[in-house]
Amino acid sequence: MPSTILIVDDSRTVRTMVRQALEADHHQVIEATDGVAALAALDMGPADLVITDVNMPEMDGLKLVRALRDRPGYRFTPILVLTTESGDEIKQRGREAGATGWLVKPFNPDQLRKTVEHVSRRRQP
Amino acid sequence: MSPLAGGRLQPAAAPVAPEKEVTIYIGGVHVSPGPAVIKTLLGSCISVCLFDPIRRVGGMNHFMLPRGAGSSGADADATRFGVHAMDCLIGDMMKLGADRRRLVAKFFGGAHVLNMKESAAAVPQQNIAFIREFLKGEGFPILAEDVGGYHPRHVRFYSHTARAMVKRVDGPHARARLLSQEDHRSAQVPSFGDVTLFDQ
Repeated sequence: MPSTILIVDDSRTVRTMVRQALEADHHQVIEATDGVAALAALDMGPADLVITDVNMPEMDGLKLVRALRDRPGYRFTPILVLTTESGDEIKQRGREAGATGWLVKPFNPDQLRKTVEHVSRRRQP
Repeated sequence: MSPLAGGRLQPAAAPVAPEKEVTIYIGGVHVSPGPAVIKTLLGSCISVCLFDPIRRVGGMNHFMLPRGAGSSGADADATRFGVHAMDCLIGDMMKLGADRRRLVAKFFGGAHVLNMKESAAAVPQQNIAFIREFLKGEGFPILAEDVGGYHPRHVRFYSHTARAMVKRVDGPHARARLLSQEDHRSAQVPSFGDVTLFDQ
């Protein structure tokens, strides 16, 4: 089912690649360059799913995940972390922050789409 | 020079610590928290050197797009791996306090070491086109570039000043070493990152 997906990454190139992958499944994609911009974007309108990088200026991805989990309406929203970081320790920090899943770049667009579909289906209010 | 040169007592020069030297190869990324000289030998590959002039943090990567760039259907995947090489460099620099909004770039490589005529469809030209488009898209100012041609390059990048020295090299030894490295690497099928779903 098409959703509104917020992609948060400081690289315009990466945002474009993610957008292209998700728009193929007719999702509506909105973009933000870091955590602060992401929270501002969500003030303008809700998202059904968030995909965020980790290393970004202003507010990094893990702080964004924590901020979102503190927001009414985002406690159960799927949040996927899409990053070059692959260490177990940082993945565990992502899990503790409240991330739903962790995808290591470079990403396979088909796998990204399947993961988005999977976590969207299992969302529980 | 004597400390008494010129008839006045000169302070002794402080000892200068030797800069650390680091060599990277295809697929490598190095970002240094302190002064370092990052070195690499390039053929058709590209090395990008990024520098944050405020934090004085610099780094270098060394990559080539997988074989198939420029052919239909393979462009997107090939580009994805080039973007990944840049993403790793930028991410490592940010972890050392660099701000991507201040980053400036120098890039080198993309030589036709096989002595084939330069063409837009050839791997070196694909590598050059990719990095130009990427840096432009991301808004990183380009301070210097030295790309194309037919000779391998030795690059030395001073991580704390952004100074880069490029020496074109030739001779059968350097060329053979490069061809072996690059042919092996470009034939490898790159792998995507894995996916972990957390129990909620």
